Amino acid sequence: MAESRAMNPQTPVTARVQAYAGAIAMVAVSTLVGLWIAPRWGTAPVDMIYLPAVLAAAALWGLGPAVIAGLAAALAYNFFFTTPVHTFRMDRVADVVTVIVLLIVALVTSRLASGIRSQARLAAAHAVRNATIAGFAGRLLSCSGEGDIGSTACTELRGLFHCNVMLVTGLPEPRIVTAAPDGNRLTPSDVAAAALTMESGEAAGRGTSRLQPAEWVFYPVRSGDEVLAAIGLARDDGTVPVTDDDLPLLTNLLDQVALALVRARAEAETREVAGLRERDHLRSALLSSVGHDLRTPLTGIIAAATELRADGATQDQALLATIACEAGKLERYISNLLDMARIEAGAVKLKTEPVDLVDSVAAAIKDVRLSLADHPVAVDLPDNLPLIRADAELLHHCLINLIDNAARYSRSRGPVRIAAAVSKAEVRLSVEDEGPGLPQDAERSLDAFSRISGSDRKGGAGLGLAIVKAFAEAMGMKVLASNRDGLGAIFTLVFPKALVLTTSETADAG
Amino acid sequence: MPASPLKVLVVDDEPQIRTLLTATLNRAGYAVVEAANGREALNAKSIDKPDLVLLDLGLPDRDGLELVTLLRGEPRAALIVISARDQTEQKVAALDLGADDYVTKPFDTEELLARVRASLRHRLASEAERQIVEAGPVTIDLLERRIRRGGEDVHLTPKEWSLLSELAKHPGRVLTHDYLLRTVWGPAHLGQAEYLRVAIRALRQKLEDTPSQPQLIINEPGVGYRLLAK
Repeated sequence: MAESRAMNPQTPVTARVQAYAGAIAMVAVSTLVGLWIAPRWGTAPVDMIYLPAVLAAAALWGLGPAVIAGLAAALAYNFFFTTPVHTFRMDRVADVVTVIVLLIVALVTSRLASGIRSQARLAAAHAVRNATIAGFAGRLLSCSGEGDIGSTACTELRGLFHCNVMLVTGLPEPRIVTAAPDGNRLTPSDVAAAALTMESGEAAGRGTSRLQPAEWVFYPVRSGDEVLAAIGLARDDGTVPVTDDDLPLLTNLLDQVALALVRARAEAETREVAGLRERDHLRSALLSSVGHDLRTPLTGIIAAATELRADGATQDQALLATIACEAGKLERYISNLLDMARIEAGAVKLKTEPVDLVDSVAAAIKDVRLSLADHPVAVDLPDNLPLIRADAELLHHCLINLIDNAARYSRSRGPVRIAAAVSKAEVRLSVEDEGPGLPQDAERSLDAFSRISGSDRKGGAGLGLAIVKAFAEAMGMKVLASNRDGLGAIFTLVFPKALVLTTSETADAG
Repeated sequence: MPASPLKVLVVDDEPQIRTLLTATLNRAGYAVVEAANGREALNAKSIDKPDLVLLDLGLPDRDGLELVTLLRGEPRAALIVISARDQTEQKVAALDLGADDYVTKPFDTEELLARVRASLRHRLASEAERQIVEAGPVTIDLLERRIRRGGEDVHLTPKEWSLLSELAKHPGRVLTHDYLLRTVWGPAHLGQAEYLRVAIRALRQKLEDTPSQPQLIINEPGVGYRLLAK
């Protein structure tokens, strides 16, 4: 911006006049000293008297005053000290050499001095720029959020470049995050320029080769290949806000903004993850404590009810059975809630082993025998039923929920049928009830149950069936739901070939 | 029932459950000692010398599995653990440590008493004395190696016999998959549950009325098998 201040046309005229006058004054002083020396020791040392004057003029004021000083010194030396004195004629070769040497000294010294001066100025300019960047980075460092960083960056850039600044982000419709001063509006071509910058990662808008009609010019704030935001700059008078000279500085400052934004984003993510972990932890702690607190009294209720039945107060048998049965249902709801929490927390671990479906069905029927008290159960499992690779416990929970569900939606005394079918491709295990069947839109999809739970089906169904689906899928099985033409609903667990043990795998057991 | 009633130690931190278990066990003719935590349980064990311990695995002051070994030890007592439904691994670990059986909360008191009877019977009767085991229509003669179903002889392969006799030696008690695989097939076959499944199915085909709805050889999901016997 001001590389050669000493002699460029911008330097004030008075300063230049002072420089030339100073040069001549120094030569005049040297001449007076020479006139005092010459009568005493001769004219030989006098030419040396002029050297300091020329050197000083060159060092202080640069080339012009130095040349003038050299010329003046040569003339004064010629006029006052060379014979014939008081004329501008020179008889001796030595005097001619003295004058030429003085001029050369003036030229060389001033060139050296001005080089040193401009290097010093450059260093000072670098220092100022580094200080600017460091100060900028430091102030950004103390910002906590994206908005905070945006407003600090805008204010700082406005102070540095004396123009209006805004930070925009978002695609395809960039919006203003912060601006200095507030209340800037974007025209459609500004929005287009901002979007172009965000997309391409290159400057766009006024003064660039792209989208010149915009009032603003946008520069990308980028981290690696990713464009995080764009900084918009504009002057009220419509001139280009950043000259080519200042572009490296601006680029550097925008890199600092990008660093700050990346840091803020990482911090926000860390906080979010920590918060989520904390919430998950709280939730599972709450659930297991609720589970324990609810189960203990239920254990008491169920045990007390069965104990009273065993005592044989006959007329109350039905009531006691109801207590035991309903408490059992509550216990199953709680188990389902806890299972669902485990699924959602990703805490379900598979322990796969060869399982006999005969075992699984019998154990499930035993566990829901209270719910099945009113419903005859038909089990139809073929003798050639192969073993299945499954987690025995998860499969047990699946079957409990399916059979309990069938018992609940069967008409009174309606049978529940559990059947298996073996084909080359797969093994299917189905649970059928005789009841109103499934709502039309819920057919084929168990997902739907979790959404319609508690609406037209009795409460609790959604959770149980959602657990069936989640557990089955975790084990690599499929679940199908459909209606049996007005007879009732049928739920089918499908075990694909990969889960079915071949006879050769089990042949040498005996 | 012997002249002095058999003594049961109930270890549970929930007072309601203790009260209930005491009432149930008293009705069935047992004497009951209660303990609310591991420390009280160990005291009661050394002072009252119970014949059987009912131990809740979820005690506040001690690890339940650690107590299994301590409460079973000299003088020998039968031990049944009480656990929550989702503690299958702990149940299996307790059985491997020598617990005789387990019940899952919420339990049916009739079932609980059946387990208590089975565990005590096993502790009291020496195995040699117990020659005949009856399960439904099936009679198993452990000494003669003879099985009759409805008066007719049933023929088993050596492995099937070995498995059935193992179950019959502990009538009514659950035996873990690992225990059965180790004793019947040998330690090299641990983890090969398919052998066990196939042999169990073969036994059911020969012994059960309806093999697809077993009434004699009962599966406990994720734990093991038990033979329901008289």
